[in-house]
Amino acid sequence: MPSRRRTLLKVIILGDSGVGKTSLMNQYVNKKFSNQYKATIGADFLTKEVQFEDRLFTLQIWDTAGQERFQSLGVAFYRGADCCVLVYDVNSMKSFDNLNNWREEFLIQASPSDPENFPFVVIGNKIDIDGGNSRVVSEKKARAWCASKGNIPYFETSAKEGINVEEAFQCIAKNALKSGEEEELYLPDTIDVGNSSQPRATGCEC
Amino acid sequence: MTDEEREGEIRASLEDAPSSPGSSGYAGEGGSTSATSGSQFEIQHQEIEDDTRIEIDRISLSDSHTSWIPGKRHLDEDDASISWRKRKKHFFVLSHSGKPIYSRYGDEHRLAGFSATLQAIISFVESGGDSIKLVRAGRHQVVFLVKGPIYLVCISSTEEPYESLRGQLELIYGQMLVILTRSINRCFEKNPKFDMTPLLGGTETVFSSLIHSFSWNPATFLHAYTCLPLSYATRQAAGAILQDVADSGVLFAILMCRHKVISLVGAQKASLHPDDMLLLANFVMSSESFRQVKLTSESFSPICLPRYNPSAFLYAYIDYFDADTYLMLLTTSSDAFYNLKDCRFRVEMVLLKSSVLSEVQRSLLNGGMHVEDLPPLPHSGSSHLGQHMLPSDSPDRFKEANSGIGGPAGLWHFMYRSIYLDQYVSSEFPSSINTPQQQKRLYRAYQKLFASMHDKGIGPHKTQFRRDENYVLLCWVTQDFELYAAFDPLADKASAIKTCNHVCQWIKDVENEIFLLGASPFSW
Repeated sequence: MPSRRRTLLKVIILGDSGVGKTSLMNQYVNKKFSNQYKATIGADFLTKEVQFEDRLFTLQIWDTAGQERFQSLGVAFYRGADCCVLVYDVNSMKSFDNLNNWREEFLIQASPSDPENFPFVVIGNKIDIDGGNSRVVSEKKARAWCASKGNIPYFETSAKEGINVEEAFQCIAKNALKSGEEEELYLPDTIDVGNSSQPRATGCEC
Repeated sequence: MTDEEREGEIRASLEDAPSSPGSSGYAGEGGSTSATSGSQFEIQHQEIEDDTRIEIDRISLSDSHTSWIPGKRHLDEDDASISWRKRKKHFFVLSHSGKPIYSRYGDEHRLAGFSATLQAIISFVESGGDSIKLVRAGRHQVVFLVKGPIYLVCISSTEEPYESLRGQLELIYGQMLVILTRSINRCFEKNPKFDMTPLLGGTETVFSSLIHSFSWNPATFLHAYTCLPLSYATRQAAGAILQDVADSGVLFAILMCRHKVISLVGAQKASLHPDDMLLLANFVMSSESFRQVKLTSESFSPICLPRYNPSAFLYAYIDYFDADTYLMLLTTSSDAFYNLKDCRFRVEMVLLKSSVLSEVQRSLLNGGMHVEDLPPLPHSGSSHLGQHMLPSDSPDRFKEANSGIGGPAGLWHFMYRSIYLDQYVSSEFPSSINTPQQQKRLYRAYQKLFASMHDKGIGPHKTQFRRDENYVLLCWVTQDFELYAAFDPLADKASAIKTCNHVCQWIKDVENEIFLLGASPFSW
């Protein structure tokens, strides 16, 4: 049995509805894109094996629904995440403004041990639309926000054209991996019989 | 209570209420205990199931052959594989963040998405202040068990009762504690991302062998252990030397042959739960490294007994005397190796001198109680298992064994569980039930019977008589024991009941050979 250690990383994708979270994931995992919009109900889960610096690991991608009515899924979904991806649509100011809420919400719900350094990645999607003419959020503005939140890595992508998607996920994987490295020490106890009365089980004793 | 009273009790309760639905736990399947009414339903019902079962079985049969192969199989599968979806019984263990820990079939990492889905379902219900226990979807039952940060799920189309499947999840969790203790919870408290799979590395066979035992080892649902049949003197000799080493700082000394106990002794006030013994024996027998007979025969390993103390380790010294027989010495001291090695030496000397080990081999060959040997009534004098066991090579013995189509009144098999001893005895299988598939089917039937007898909602019950196209099943529960018996499906009810009374008398007559009796001079 090969006991080579494999790592599994939980990656949560958050952002307003319609910004292209599912499309990004589909492009990354299946290399497919569909123009048809199909709202995610609750959450979708996908798995992708990634190689990084001679190590093989698995991304467990949690694609969540952007609609507010699904936000009650809360704690359960965010618990134990290794990386959180915040997605907005460069053609929608509101989706960008909401990044702050998504980030706050995540930190409250997931309550990571070191919120300051929790690995986020920000993605500005749909840069292909209209040849970039309908764009309302400038790269500069987005980068400034990322810088103010502790230098969050930033990527501009097109899920449709497959632009920068691979690169963004490579970075997601790298950051998730970094955060996973400080593991808890497993320190089991040994029974001390002299110390206390043990919980008694039934039977056998006459 | 005298035996006459017992006999009267079972007769009366069965005859007074020949068709009382109350004494049948099979709600939804006709709910009748009588032999005729309701059986029509069942036959039709069964036919449909058999048709579909054949199709589903094709996959499991093609790889199960007759002997079970330990370890993980079908690693190439995931939730998109048709073969994976058709497997009749899945077990999953995952963390509260949805990270996979164990899956019976398929590669855990490739099932990460499936595992996340399970976590989402469990956590969603939990966030509403509730907890999910069971989902029925067509032929499938999805059973959930939440143990702090560890989630266990079974998805089964085997028609086993919910209580049985849940009990199996409890055992899987217990097996995990045997290996890691409950201190694993602290790791999750500090870090929900915690991945415990590396800590379980190399233990796949422990879990697959436990899961396999759900279909052949009745200890998994009876919550009792079973002893290797031995003469009273032989078991006494083994017990005496174990007691001797227990007095010198050993918490538990256990001598076993495969999954059967030869003798066991505990330090004063320490007692061993049958489930702990099951999990301990499974851990030892399924771990190849303990079995390297006479190469590196002795091992010393941290081990947790979940029913004794789930949060801390004991240390186990394990040594195989031969391919089947092994000694386990449990202590609280991590530096007791040399002391225990010395104890083992003393035990081995005594066992060899008093020929316990050769008696053990003899008992293995002869087997235990054979239904064909049920003494005829009227019962006279005391009988011994040894009537056929020793001398083992009388010509009668072979004739009986080969012609074994069953005992009197069509008795095929029985299991008897002594409540105050925490032990059970199970008869050998007759030729009518000699394939692993047939045996599994009978155990499943017993399991269902057990669950219905212990149903908290409509039970507990004293007796149950049930006939279908496979068997007549009779169950009798008293304060002292539980008897489960299987007969030919055409068996006569009155003589089946009478035969059960004979079986109980027979067990009483040979009890000091089939059970480990605490009331010995070496009582603990």
